[in-house]
Amino acid sequence: MGRKTYNIAMVSDFFFPQPGGVESHIYQLSSKLIDRGHKVIIITHNYDDRKGVRYLNNGLKVYHVPFLVIYRAATFPTVFSFFPILRNICIREQIEIVHGHGSLSSLCHEAILHARTMGLRTVFTDHSLFGFADAASILTNKLLKFILSDVDHSICVSHTCKENTVLRASLDPLMVSVIPNAVVGENFRPRDYPTQSEKGEGFRAESSPRLLGPHDVITIVVISRLFYNKGTDLLTAAIPRILENHPNTRFIIAGSGPKAIDLEQMIETNVLQDRVEMLGSIRHEDVRDVMTRGHIYLHPSLTEAFGTVIVEAASCGLYVVCTQVGGIPEVLPSHMTTFAKPEEDDIVAATGKAITAMRAGKIRTDKFHDEVKKMYSWSNVAMRTERVYDGICGTISEEEFYGFDTTGYTGSRIRDFALIDRLKRYYGCGIWAGKLFCLCVVVDYLFFLLLEWWFPRENIDICRDWPRKSPAEDTAEDSMKAAPNQRSTSSIRVAKLDR
Amino acid sequence: MLTTAPRLRIRRPSPTTAEYTVTTLPPQTLPLRLLWLLLLFLRIFLSLITLLVIYARWVQERSSFGAAPTLFSPSSLPPLLSLDRIIFLLDTFQDTPGGKLLARIAASIKLPVLVPVAAAVFYALSLRVHKEESLLVLRGLGVQTSESPTTYLASAATRFIPTEKIQDIFVNEAFRGFEVRYYLVVVVEGEEDVVVVFPGLLPKRKIVETVWRGVRECLYEGRGEDSRVVANEK
Repeated sequence: MGRKTYNIAMVSDFFFPQPGGVESHIYQLSSKLIDRGHKVIIITHNYDDRKGVRYLNNGLKVYHVPFLVIYRAATFPTVFSFFPILRNICIREQIEIVHGHGSLSSLCHEAILHARTMGLRTVFTDHSLFGFADAASILTNKLLKFILSDVDHSICVSHTCKENTVLRASLDPLMVSVIPNAVVGENFRPRDYPTQSEKGEGFRAESSPRLLGPHDVITIVVISRLFYNKGTDLLTAAIPRILENHPNTRFIIAGSGPKAIDLEQMIETNVLQDRVEMLGSIRHEDVRDVMTRGHIYLHPSLTEAFGTVIVEAASCGLYVVCTQVGGIPEVLPSHMTTFAKPEEDDIVAATGKAITAMRAGKIRTDKFHDEVKKMYSWSNVAMRTERVYDGICGTISEEEFYGFDTTGYTGSRIRDFALIDRLKRYYGCGIWAGKLFCLCVVVDYLFFLLLEWWFPRENIDICRDWPRKSPAEDTAEDSMKAAPNQRSTSSIRVAKLDR
Repeated sequence: MLTTAPRLRIRRPSPTTAEYTVTTLPPQTLPLRLLWLLLLFLRIFLSLITLLVIYARWVQERSSFGAAPTLFSPSSLPPLLSLDRIIFLLDTFQDTPGGKLLARIAASIKLPVLVPVAAAVFYALSLRVHKEESLLVLRGLGVQTSESPTTYLASAATRFIPTEKIQDIFVNEAFRGFEVRYYLVVVVEGEEDVVVVFPGLLPKRKIVETVWRGVRECLYEGRGEDSRVVANEK
C-alpha cells in the first residue's frame, strides 16, 4: 500500500537564478518531494533571458512566466492577468495542490486566490517577519490577511515567524505549522573534514582540536546581502571598534547591495584595506569556500525569520555571533552561538567574547558539522510538508492532523470551495476591506467562468509526466529507524514469495 | 462550421517520402461543398459590385476633368475579348437602373474613403477560410516546410532545409499568449533562430508527437533514437 502522491505547483516570485534563502528552500523542498514520488513543478516569473519552460535536474519543471519586474525581483501586482496562464498550467499539469512561498511575492498571493477559485488545495509558506507599524507593513498585512483567510494551511519557518504571521493575518494558530529550513550538509563541510571514503577505513584516534596561538589571525566572515534590514549599518559601525580592540583579526565580507558603499567608505576613512576584504557578490556554491576561510561568523541582521546562513556557517565549523532577533534564537543550540542585542556596543562586546573564547580553545567547532547535520535535513522537511498535504487533502483525518483543540472551537478546519463560504470568510476581514475582498473574489469567479468558456478545458493538452520515482517508504525518517524497518519489509516480501 | 480544430493528414507518395499536413479544413461532405460553392459565388458577386462602384466613380472623375468619354456606336462593336469590349460593356452597364444606383452610391462617398474601403473589401474577399501548413520529409534530402498564405492571391511560403543542415528535430513547450503550447522545432546549423514547424496552427500534442516520430523515422531510418536507446541498454 503506497502513500498517496500529489501533483504540486510551487509558486513564487523568488527562484533561481536569483540567489537567496527562499529560492534554495523551494528548490531543495521540491527535489526532496520528487524523491518521495510526488510530481512538482515551479511557477515563477522570467529572469532576463530565462523565459519559458525549463527542466532542472531530478525532473523538476520550471515555468518562467513572462512578467514585469518592479522591485527586488517582485512582480507588479496584476491581480487578474496571471489567472489565464495559471489555469492553463494547472490543467495541463493536473495540479492538485498550489503551494505559494514568500509573503512579498504577489505572484504567490495571486496564485493562491486563483487556485482557490479553481477548486485546488493551497498551502502558503511564510519566510519573513514584518512589523506592524509602518504604512508598507500595514498594507502587506492587509493583503496577507486577505489571502490567508481562505488558504488551506500555512507553514512558517520558525516559531517566531509563526507568531508573527498569526498576529498579522489573524489566523487560527492550529492552521499554521512550523517547518524549519534545512541545509545540504555535504555542501557545507568544514575545511579538513574527512570525506565518506576516508571515514570508512576504520577507527582512528579522534583528531584533537586545532588550537590557535596568541598571534594567529582570527578571521571573521560576514556573508549577507548588504541591505538595511540585514544590519549592514551595525556592521559598518562595529568593524573599526572590533579591529581596534583585537589586533590579530580580520574581516571577510561577501555580498552586494546598496549599503556596500558605506562599508567601503568606512574602510577608507579608517585605513583598513589590509584587514577587511570585500569580495562583492558571490555565488551560492562558493559560500562554503569563503566560510571555511574564517573562524567566526558574524550575523548582524535586524530581522530574520530563520537565518539559513547561520546554520550553514555552523555546518562549516564556524562559531556564530548573531543578533538575538526574530527566529534566530531557535535555530542553533547555545554552545554554537553568542547572542548580541541588535546594537553597536553589544555586537562589539559579543564578538570580543567570541574571539577570546576561540583563542582560549574553549569551543570545539570541529564537532559542529555532525551536530548540525543531525538537526537539519531536507528529507525531514519534505516529510513534514507531505504530512501537511495529507492533512489538507483529507488523506489523514482532521482530528489526526490538527489534534485535540483545547480552545473549544468545534467548527471544521477544512476549507470547502463553495463560493458563499469563501465570501463569508473574506467578509470578516474588515469593514471596508471585507467588502472589497468579496468584490475581488466575485470578479475572480466570474473571470474563471469566462475562461472556462473562452479556453475550454478539453482543448488544453495534458502534459506528460516525468517518470516518477517509486515513493520511498515512510521509514526514511532518519537513518536510525530506517535500517531495521527495511529489513522487516524485505522479510515480508520473502515470506510472500514463499507462499 | 467551415473550419475544424487542426487535424493531421499524412500522405506517403513513395516509401522514402512523407508529407504531414495540418489543416483546419473539415472533411468534405456534400452540404459543405455546396456551401463552398455558395461562398465562392458570393465572393465573386461582391468583388464585381465593388469593381463597378470604383469604375462608376472613375467615369465621374474623368468627366469632371472635361475629358470626352470614348463612345462606341452600337453598330461597330469592338471585337470580343478585348479591352475595348470590356470598357464598352461597363459603359452600357452604367445606363441600366442598377448602374445608376451604383453611380449614385459612388458619387455620395468621398474619394479618400472610397479607395481604402474598396481595397479593404478586396482584401477581405480574397482571404482564405482555412489554414494549411505542411511538412514534407524526403529521406536523404531534407525537409520542406510550407505555410498556406492568408489570401488566395499569394502563393504558399515554403522553406527547404537540407539534411546536412539539420542538427536536430524535437518537441518543446513555450508560452504563447495565455497558453503553454507544444511545438515542433527544427534546429538548423549556423542559424541563431530555430525553425518552428506549423507555426500558425500549433496543433495539439498528439499531432506534434506523431509528426515528430514520423519525421525521425523517415529521416534517420530508425537509427535516430532507437540506436541510442539500444546503446544505453548495452
